Amino acid sequence: MGGWLAGIPLFWGKIFAAVFFVGMIVWAWFRPRKYIYEDSPDGNRWRDLRIWATVLLGIQIVLYIVF
Amino acid sequence: MSIRGIDLIIVIAYLIAIPVFGVYFRKYVKTEEDYFLAGKMLPWWVISMSIIGTNIGAYDYMGAAGGAYRFGIAQANYEWIGAIPAMVLSALLFVPYYWKAGVYTVPEFLGKRYNLAVRVIEAILWGAFLACVLGVFFWASGLMLNEYLGIPVEVSLLITALIVGIYTITGGLAAVAMTDVVQLLVMFIGGVALTVLGLWTVGGWSGLVNAITPTNPDHFKLFLPLDNPTYPWLGMIFGLALVLSPAWWCCHQAIIQRTLGARSEWDAKAGMLFASFPKMLIPILVVLPGLLALALNPGLVGADMDKAFPWLIKNLLPAGLAGLVFAAFMAALISSVDSTLNSAATLWTRDIYQRFFKKDASDRHYLRVGRILTLVFVLWAIAFAPVTKEFPGIYVAMQTLLSIFQGPTFAITLLGIYWKRANQWGGLSGLLGGVAISSSLFFITKSSFLYIAWWSFLGSALITMLVSLLTKPDPSEKLEGLVYGLVMKDKDIQDILKKRAEGGE
Repeated sequence: MGGWLAGIPLFWGKIFAAVFFVGMIVWAWFRPRKYIYEDSPDGNRWRDLRIWATVLLGIQIVLYIVF
Repeated sequence: MSIRGIDLIIVIAYLIAIPVFGVYFRKYVKTEEDYFLAGKMLPWWVISMSIIGTNIGAYDYMGAAGGAYRFGIAQANYEWIGAIPAMVLSALLFVPYYWKAGVYTVPEFLGKRYNLAVRVIEAILWGAFLACVLGVFFWASGLMLNEYLGIPVEVSLLITALIVGIYTITGGLAAVAMTDVVQLLVMFIGGVALTVLGLWTVGGWSGLVNAITPTNPDHFKLFLPLDNPTYPWLGMIFGLALVLSPAWWCCHQAIIQRTLGARSEWDAKAGMLFASFPKMLIPILVVLPGLLALALNPGLVGADMDKAFPWLIKNLLPAGLAGLVFAAFMAALISSVDSTLNSAATLWTRDIYQRFFKKDASDRHYLRVGRILTLVFVLWAIAFAPVTKEFPGIYVAMQTLLSIFQGPTFAITLLGIYWKRANQWGGLSGLLGGVAISSSLFFITKSSFLYIAWWSFLGSALITMLVSLLTKPDPSEKLEGLVYGLVMKDKDIQDILKKRAEGGE
């Protein structure tokens, strides 16, 4: 994996990673509410899996910025 | 090193308690569905803990700690960027479609979506892979028991087989999932104890950083330069995060099978998603110990780096705690072995035996076959385990095996769910072409498995699309319920699928 790719700064890895995580959050929120709650016993807010996904991916963004 | 009494008591108590607890669930197994899908009764929290118990194996403790010793926290990429986004994708896109389709295996789903040939090829590939994985797991147990207890490797393989075999053969997925819950707790208690004591010994986080960075300046960087032979950052993103990881979390039979046993679609999705929370903490159990071993003993070289974790147990822990951490290691091992055994038996029973040897037998017959096949895989693993020592690093060996067919499998599954124009000939050609690409890259160019995965995924996706567009589309009734857009728009299809999933049809 040499050539021109070897010249890409390591910093771009963090940029790619952050864009990737944000893209996943946006994708999750494009899932319809009905689809997310399908078969759920109730409509409580904590059962909204899009919120879970946002928390998970948000933590990832922080980790990849710090390290 | 001589084993201390209290440690031995803890380890023996644990090794007896797990099979006893697992065998208890035998009474709930009356049918094939009970055995392979836990009667579709699993709640989301059991699924999530069982998924992580399945995912974190002995190779993580050995291989990942060894990887952290060599390369630093870049090893944590496997638990973070190489897992969390893929688990979100799996939970919100793949799992609901598998669950709705009422299938037992991922190849069964691909058979419905494409054709029988795709199902058989996938079943054989996965069946062979799971069998190889069992060998790796067993060999890791041999190394650990040999290093810590001084038991000969051959004897330790038999001990592992006996403990796991008893409850996996009798209790099926319910026993496997419930014991996984207990084992995950043991893993976390033991792992956190080891890490906390290790950090205290080296002077906390700053002490760890100060001990390592003068000689290893990149050990606290998640992304490593492109000239790193094992973990180049571009390979981490394109190979691991975009292909290998989604392939693992969206298509791996042993992982997905827990969600197929969910009591509802929401539980299936939530189980996969909630598993991401403990998954994020796994580096504390498997990566930090590698760094701690490096700080305390920088002299390990070559293959001995894979012994970073056992070295830490032997040299750091006081009596009592060593037994607990050793039990945690065994928990990781056993919870992966039992799941792999159960999934291998499910695949071979459903996709091979039931399809080609005896199609319309009774439920009890398939239940018996599933149990016999589980026993066969136990015996196979014992025989195959010594072969894995030929590979230079346990974890890399695992990933290399995976990369051969993970990329193509993920490509056709993703296109199958998201693109209704993907047809049976496209799927079949994409799978075969992708495996040919990855095999060529592996055997001829000896490329890194991260790049093999990326190129085989890309090649497989292109072949699938090209062949699909050049051949006749599949009839729309065949695609109902299996493709994203077709389900979301049609209430009737959703109702049919729900009934099918509940009835396990």
